[in-house]
Amino acid sequence: MQLARVVGTATSTIKHPSMNGWKLLIVQMLQADGRSPDGDPVVSIDSLGAAVGQDVIITSDGKGTRELMNSNITPVRWSVLGIRND
Amino acid sequence: MRIGEIIGTVTLSRCHPSLTGGSYRLVVPLSLENLKGRSTERAEELVVYDDFGAGIGDKIAFSEGVEAAQPFAPNYKPLDAYNAAILDQIDIR
Repeated sequence: MQLARVVGTATSTIKHPSMNGWKLLIVQMLQADGRSPDGDPVVSIDSLGAAVGQDVIITSDGKGTRELMNSNITPVRWSVLGIRND
Repeated sequence: MRIGEIIGTVTLSRCHPSLTGGSYRLVVPLSLENLKGRSTERAEELVVYDDFGAGIGDKIAFSEGVEAAQPFAPNYKPLDAYNAAILDQIDIR
């Protein structure tokens, strides 16, 4: 699981069918200081309603994401597990 | 899935049998600075399998690693990058 900041949103009409109905967030993973960016931003699915500017915990557990999306053939890896409080 | 921009097309003459008939795009992954429009520096390009007929200039979300082959389960192809979605709109703040 990694700490990331929601930096934006994305919309798509032409996409893998397993992604229909899923909100796409653009998140930037953060380094240990909680501020510096760590790598490229990634597209994550979200069912918790995280807003731009919030910090979230995302997971790269592809199997977990496939279970969340109820699809064994989805190409999605990243999903939001939780939204940071403070 | 990372975000990338399509800069070209790749054609294969000899390839693994499961890859014949596929379309392949040359894609540059975009950093946060690229997405914000603050940098034109280009990262190293990669080849992405494309099912959706994406064109040059399109921004896509591409899966890498295991998830790139997952859409073809159980008839896996030896792919490590797959175009999961053509992004119509990207809003960065």
